[in-house]
Amino acid sequence: QLFFSYFKDLVGQEVTVELKNDLAIRGTLHSVDQYLNIKLENTRVVDQDKFPHMLSVRNCFIRGSVVRYVQLPPDGVDVDLLHDAARREARGA
Amino acid sequence: MVVGLREFALRTGDGSPALDESSGEELMHVQPSVAVALGDRSVESPGTLYITSRKLIWLSDADVAKGYAVDFLSISLHAVSRDPQTYSSPCIYTQIEVVEDEDEEDEDEEESNGVLDLSKIREMRLVPSDSTQLDTLFDVFCECAELNPEPIEEEGEEENGHNWVFSADQMVVGGGGEEDAEWQISQSPTSVIGHSNGDESIAQPMLELQINDQRFDDAEEMVHENETKDH
Repeated sequence: QLFFSYFKDLVGQEVTVELKNDLAIRGTLHSVDQYLNIKLENTRVVDQDKFPHMLSVRNCFIRGSVVRYVQLPPDGVDVDLLHDAARREARGA
Repeated sequence: MVVGLREFALRTGDGSPALDESSGEELMHVQPSVAVALGDRSVESPGTLYITSRKLIWLSDADVAKGYAVDFLSISLHAVSRDPQTYSSPCIYTQIEVVEDEDEEDEDEEESNGVLDLSKIREMRLVPSDSTQLDTLFDVFCECAELNPEPIEEEGEEENGHNWVFSADQMVVGGGGEEDAEWQISQSPTSVIGHSNGDESIAQPMLELQINDQRFDDAEEMVHENETKDH
């Protein structure tokens, strides 16, 4: 539940989602759900040559289970806070 | 559950697809007059799109033996595609997860010897003749994707149920100094406790203590570490 809450706070920010098939999509985080399914707006594909078909897509829904990474805006992350929260969550507190 | 796109030809008397009612599969949306384009192939039409709570089915109107289905669990991504330069008609663009075949070097090869292998299809477009329906279709896809989260694996027989690794120390299998000997006997903290005595009521607080040990190497924790190692 920690990352769900965390991503909810990131809504509206620019993120880059990298999928397990190596596709990377940059966009504005529109919404996220408890399974970390992600909806992005104003999307543009980072590697256009590999996935030309994605060029015309502006909004998309990405299944949480295929996400490899979500790259966050550097100033959008309080690392210490996240580190402590992750530690607490893993201990089951 | 089948990964990827597959053929589907089970129809009921009225032409609609046969659903797996025993598992609670329900029809969510029907969109007539939809063409489908698999991968780089040209579009196939006319057909009808059936969206169920578990999967997406396209049935050809012209050929009753032709149809395709893909579980929402296999749909990695879906989007509305409107740029005429990328594709001639506005459509729903989807990416489909495929079973990775280690032997296959050319991942884009869908056809070999002229036979189309549906399970290798990675992209699929659905082109409704009524493009005003695209946003509705996109929303139905979102809804159905949300209805199909990853199935949760059975929680383990261990009391804590989790198999989280907190530090590299937990992974030590062989070697290491004497102080690691206890860890080598067992593969999880709970069974170390079990070795010392079988009293489960002690296990829980002891487990927490050991998890703390995994996490912190602070000097003040060393006292606790020494205590537990005596057991």
